[in-house]
Amino acid sequence: MSWISVEKAKRLEERFGYPKVSQDKSGVVSVEVPKDKFIEFLKFLKEDKEYDFRMFLDLTIIDHGEKEDPRFQGVVILFSPTYQYRIIVKTWALDETLPTLTNLWKGAKWAEREAWDMFGIKFEGHENLVRMLLWETYPYHPLRKDFPLEGIKDTYLPSLNETLRGDSLEGLFNYDRMHTAIPTMEDLEITQKKRMPVKTSQIVLNWGPLHPGTHGTIWFLFDLDGEYVKQCDIIIGQLHRGVEKLGENVNWQQFIPYTDRMDYIAAINENHAYVLAAEKLLGIEIPEKAKWIRTMMAELSRINSHLLWLGTYALDLGALTMFLYTFREREKIMDIIEGISGARFTINYFRIGGVFADLPYGALDAIEHIIKDLPERINDYETLLTRNRIWLSRNKDVCIITEEDVYDYGLTGAVARGSGVPYDIRKIDKYDAYGEVEFDIPVGETGDSYDRYLVRMEEMRQSIRIIQQCVAKLRKMSKNDPYFFQTPDEKKLKVTIDGRGMKLPAGEVYASSDNPRGELGFYIYNKKDGLKAHRMRIRSGAFYNLQVFTKAIIGRPIADAITLLSTIDPVVGETDR
Amino acid sequence: MGVKKVGAKPQTLVEKIFFLDFIKGLKTTIKHLWKKVITVDFPYEVVTPPPRFRGVHGLRTVDGTENPEFDSWVKRLKIKPPEPGETRCIACKFCQAACPVPELFDIQSEKLDVPEDHPHYGLKVMTVFNMDLSKCTFCGLCTQACPTDCIIMTDIYDLSSYTRRNWVLDKDMLTQIANEFASRRRDEKFDQHSQWREDQKLWPEYDKTREKLWDFNMPKLGPNYHDQTA
Repeated sequence: MSWISVEKAKRLEERFGYPKVSQDKSGVVSVEVPKDKFIEFLKFLKEDKEYDFRMFLDLTIIDHGEKEDPRFQGVVILFSPTYQYRIIVKTWALDETLPTLTNLWKGAKWAEREAWDMFGIKFEGHENLVRMLLWETYPYHPLRKDFPLEGIKDTYLPSLNETLRGDSLEGLFNYDRMHTAIPTMEDLEITQKKRMPVKTSQIVLNWGPLHPGTHGTIWFLFDLDGEYVKQCDIIIGQLHRGVEKLGENVNWQQFIPYTDRMDYIAAINENHAYVLAAEKLLGIEIPEKAKWIRTMMAELSRINSHLLWLGTYALDLGALTMFLYTFREREKIMDIIEGISGARFTINYFRIGGVFADLPYGALDAIEHIIKDLPERINDYETLLTRNRIWLSRNKDVCIITEEDVYDYGLTGAVARGSGVPYDIRKIDKYDAYGEVEFDIPVGETGDSYDRYLVRMEEMRQSIRIIQQCVAKLRKMSKNDPYFFQTPDEKKLKVTIDGRGMKLPAGEVYASSDNPRGELGFYIYNKKDGLKAHRMRIRSGAFYNLQVFTKAIIGRPIADAITLLSTIDPVVGETDR
Repeated sequence: MGVKKVGAKPQTLVEKIFFLDFIKGLKTTIKHLWKKVITVDFPYEVVTPPPRFRGVHGLRTVDGTENPEFDSWVKRLKIKPPEPGETRCIACKFCQAACPVPELFDIQSEKLDVPEDHPHYGLKVMTVFNMDLSKCTFCGLCTQACPTDCIIMTDIYDLSSYTRRNWVLDKDMLTQIANEFASRRRDEKFDQHSQWREDQKLWPEYDKTREKLWDFNMPKLGPNYHDQTA
């Protein structure tokens, strides 16, 4: 589904001779090319009209282990907007170097920085290859297989231990006095200077990392001319917890609570993307009821997330009341989610194979109640904002993101749709019940902040439409229908709700879901059948969307930074992972 | 593919001159001016958590509602058959195996020190069950892994304390939490076999505080599916 056909890929083999095409059981089509032909091949894929892989999705590295030679493999995922399919291009990173992709897609800049940071792969020709998530003086590359999960404890830090009643905690519950490295003020200063080596003005404005307007811990550097931005860079990583490393060290179901904590605003959608990828690798089809429940919950979560976005966005631009109104509706949605799954925020309701429990008595009534109420509320918000002259002048023609940028930077979600690109995984992949529900993709015209605002407002209305169809469908089902995958042969395939002893087969898979923040993709590479993944790559939509900030803000006054950041709507938990 | 164009319309002259945008906005604001307060006055008022709420853990005791496989599990793991009132834990460590942070559990069992002719000779009892809740993510995987429905999650959510030590709950504390929870709300959570009730409600309907946050317009809870009964 939505991968280039093998026949078409084989034609590449005939044409060039060197590519090796292979297809995994999960449907992923990958092409392996030698390193010296890598750029030439990618350039062909991008520019040839027959293939037309204009859109950059992701770049990552697989570490095959210390003993392997060659050890590191570069993986690039591309998408063709014309033909609506993807392809994976791989090459071996000999001598721990790869040629840079930034001349083809500007969006590869951050991905390459991250690959350098996490794996120590140098990209030849990259304009300023600095670390992405960690600080500049950090000596290790943590996603390498020889780096231990608990880190290298080389800093003496006794303050974590209990002191109020003496240091008397014993055994398991004591804390180690040695801690993994933490950055000092000097380290941060070096990091900041390396990020912006050439400055044009006297003052570089620091915004963040702890500023309410940044919606989390993002550290912006603005090089200003008067109040106009000439240069911009972003330092992220203050919330980096190594979720990818954790994904390679915990069992399959146990990873779901960690995905909750990435994009904590829309935890259900994070779970969704992960379970989709794992199910594709397992090659199972989940029960009908689970599909519809999941679709409904994912859309409920999308509304929840957009309500928070609307409230804080309006709050940042000075409309305080909006925040209170949206939080009132959000509270109701969270109340329903709490009743269904047991938690308001870190939900952990989905499982590989379905959901962990059926809907409780009365859940559909409460959801019906809220979707009857919501359209009226959204109209209320729109009367307050949409035609308001202050709102218009703060948003209209502010920070235009063009269609070209969308393909170059791999922008997804509402940011892409605001620029007029109808890129929606729900329509492309048709995962779960999205193939059977009717909804429209809202797209903007100019790609300014106002369009992104309108797109998200319309998205909420479309979500309500989807939920209505899900509720109607679920009403017709029986309470005895299964909500979790039933194994035909327990000995061959074990899928459990708690995840003990569950194995996923060898292979590779890339699956994604359309998050409120863009395309969240999970690339899982499994060397052999295992309880844990060999490589778990998380393609974060917010990470790539945030990258365009550094371009769209150029030439705009500093006040527009707030508007642009709010309409891009990143969540730091997901950008940093 | 359904694509819907959204785009900006410029303000009309009439709108500009008569400040129609502001008047419309103010209308919405004034409409909300006469509404009742919807916030809950915590801690004087509290909302009762739903039955599925994932709060602080508890260890249940034997009270005659064990699931049918309980005896066979006790036999399989060579545990001393528990008397009523004793813990259901059989020290199988399934909870630890299912936990995303396994180091938060400290579970130990010991062989009973009895003479060879005693009926409990060679059997084990669970002696240590410590949980460090400062590491817990409250994901609920341990409760789903438990074969005897021993470890449960209660409706307690305020677990602040002055020292980190107080987050480490031992087996007596956990048992007490579960007993209190069972006497308070067992009928909502478990059926006669200690499994999840099929008719479990989205939230307890006796809780009147919740009405506030629903704008005094609560949905009426009914069956989800056509063959479901309350």
